Amino acid sequence: MAETKHWTGSDKYLCDPDLAQAFHMARTLGMPLLIEGEPGTGKTELPIHYAKDRGLDLEVYPVGSKSNVEQFVARFDHVKYLRDSQIEILNAQREEKGLESRLSTGNRNPESLADYVVKGPAAIAYSKPNSVLLIDEIDKAPREFPNDLLYALSHRKFIMPESGEIIEVSEEDMPAIVITSNREQELPTAFKGRCIYHYIHFPEKDVMSQIVEKHHPGLDEKVVKVALDVFYHLRRLGLERSPTTREILNWLKYMSDIAPKEATEKIQGLEGVGALIKTQADMERVNRMIGAGDNLGTYLN
Amino acid sequence: MLSSLPASFRKHGLKADVRTLLTLRKAMQKGLVKTLGDLHNTLKGIVVKEPEDIGPFTKAYYEYFLHVPIAPGQTLEDAILRSETFQKWKTKYVDEADKDIDLTEEELVNTFLDQVHLTSYDIKEVVNGKKIWDKDNPDLEDEDGQEVDGQPAERVLDKMADYSDLSLEELLERMEKVKDQQRTNHSGGSHWIGTSGISPYGHGGAAKNGLRVGGQGGGRMARKVIGDKNYFPIDRDALLNDNNVDAALASIKGVIEESAIEKLDIPHTIKSGLKRGGLFLPELTSEKFEELKIIVLIDNGGYSMAPYIRSVQELFRKMKTRFAHDLEVYYFHNTIYDRVWIDERRSTYISIDKLLMHNKDYRVFFIGDSAMAPYELSPLSIRNIQAITKKFKKTVWLNPEPLKYWPGTYTIQVMKELVPMFPLTPHGIERAVREMNSKSTEG
Repeated sequence: MAETKHWTGSDKYLCDPDLAQAFHMARTLGMPLLIEGEPGTGKTELPIHYAKDRGLDLEVYPVGSKSNVEQFVARFDHVKYLRDSQIEILNAQREEKGLESRLSTGNRNPESLADYVVKGPAAIAYSKPNSVLLIDEIDKAPREFPNDLLYALSHRKFIMPESGEIIEVSEEDMPAIVITSNREQELPTAFKGRCIYHYIHFPEKDVMSQIVEKHHPGLDEKVVKVALDVFYHLRRLGLERSPTTREILNWLKYMSDIAPKEATEKIQGLEGVGALIKTQADMERVNRMIGAGDNLGTYLN
Repeated sequence: MLSSLPASFRKHGLKADVRTLLTLRKAMQKGLVKTLGDLHNTLKGIVVKEPEDIGPFTKAYYEYFLHVPIAPGQTLEDAILRSETFQKWKTKYVDEADKDIDLTEEELVNTFLDQVHLTSYDIKEVVNGKKIWDKDNPDLEDEDGQEVDGQPAERVLDKMADYSDLSLEELLERMEKVKDQQRTNHSGGSHWIGTSGISPYGHGGAAKNGLRVGGQGGGRMARKVIGDKNYFPIDRDALLNDNNVDAALASIKGVIEESAIEKLDIPHTIKSGLKRGGLFLPELTSEKFEELKIIVLIDNGGYSMAPYIRSVQELFRKMKTRFAHDLEVYYFHNTIYDRVWIDERRSTYISIDKLLMHNKDYRVFFIGDSAMAPYELSPLSIRNIQAITKKFKKTVWLNPEPLKYWPGTYTIQVMKELVPMFPLTPHGIERAVREMNSKSTEG
């Protein structure tokens, strides 16, 4: 693995030291890093910022309920292949009849099977040294996908379907593989066994203020403080869906255009709190709390 | 080397086997393990596979490597203070500091944790003169101004840097020694720190210029983990309650069956091929199955069930909000006769025949203690329950009654024969779901 230098985050991304170590360890061992944690804690951001910061190529495979390993590695496009071969016949017939116009096969030649191989993110990442491969939200996948994926990842070699082309990567050039999961489905034990696991803990207040600083550098300190007070208070309420990093950043983005003093008042009045609260039941609960004549601002202190 | 590690970690319910050792070995060969803190973090990455493992892992690690046993419910600080390891370390630490140190127990534990969790990354940070990321860490203030460092800082740093080049052989040798010591002598803990230990720092890794070495994540996190109900001690075999309802939810997610296949749509291909005058282009169709149809039958009669009703409802309510699939809840009292009730107060009902008219793909969860007078379990009731298990192949019974009472309750024994029964714990639910998944609805 050539790219195994310890990476501790960039000017836009605050990488928790534990996470940085786990990531370093995964790259050094050539194992995928499996990151879990609450939504909005920057799981997906890690490989994106890492690739950007180090100037590496990033391949992303967003997993969905219809994902399969062919899409991930490579598949042979039978449809195009059949179409093109049919077109060849058609063109030959037209030529016989003396017709000039021909149908195009878009520079693909049915003789060369490699033209019909559609490479997925894995094959592309493996063909470039030191790239970064992100497999996002693996928990959304059909149940069999993680195991298939495991098989694919445990080899450093892919054989392209039909064309037989081999894509191989040396141990030194292995891409850094990051897999994220929101834990909506339990992943197979065997799969987890082959990954380095890291669970992102929700950042504490002091870390959070640094994260805010990275995203909204110009923001008034007091505004941030008041906003974080409200934010962590809301999290403590045990709402159905607790607000996360992503939401506090959005909220503060909204506040960043407003003069600090006014913004502080607005935050204490919970204006725009819709950015933080995501379900009706939670909203009602928060409203009840304010509605009880209880100024949240004083309630907090 | 370390061959007893898997067995010892497995005792804490962690998954550790030969592969764990092999991966650890590889990590050592790659130079990832240079300090005790590194060892902790590396092993954590290898062994911990879900957040619930973090607590047990911390416990297992402290017990195995540091010889600090942590009793259930005990805080980490307390366990450390009571351990012999800590006493030896303390004696040594105070000795080497070469002057009177006036530290409270808490501060001593903090220093101890900082040293134990010091990683080679921290050392590099210091050696590179980089700013430690959490310079503003409020914890720091406690340490400020405490002259615990008896030596010029540079020397300490040199020493640490030197140690970070410790060769693998040396490290293994030392670990082996520690292991031997621990086997023969219950108090070998002191050896990992100081002269013959694997700890790469002498004393005084504590502070310089207000920068505290280490303790930035590891120590604090370990402290936080022990006693944080999110990680510890979630007892996976504890009965379902508000705290572990999420863990149960995670287990129950296994019931989701999803599949996606792309296949050739032959009729469509032929039809469109004929339209094109014999030019056949393959048409694909994607089939997607996503089914999670659930019937929950809750025993809400009697006092025995009262404590669990709420957690059970909470569990399935959460499930519903997250998946919005077909979920039907009915109630019964002790056992099922000819009807089940739609509402909790048992005023409106549907007959069993109607319940049986549901599609056979439904999964049925019985939730009840199955404790009743033997005469209540009448032939009619047994017949109806059999009818349900016959129709719905994926049927399980979750019982909140502690496992040890099962053999003593006659009706539980009978019911167990009729319906596969599991304890109402996250672990039990997981097993129940696995059992369900192994059954096919066909036939």
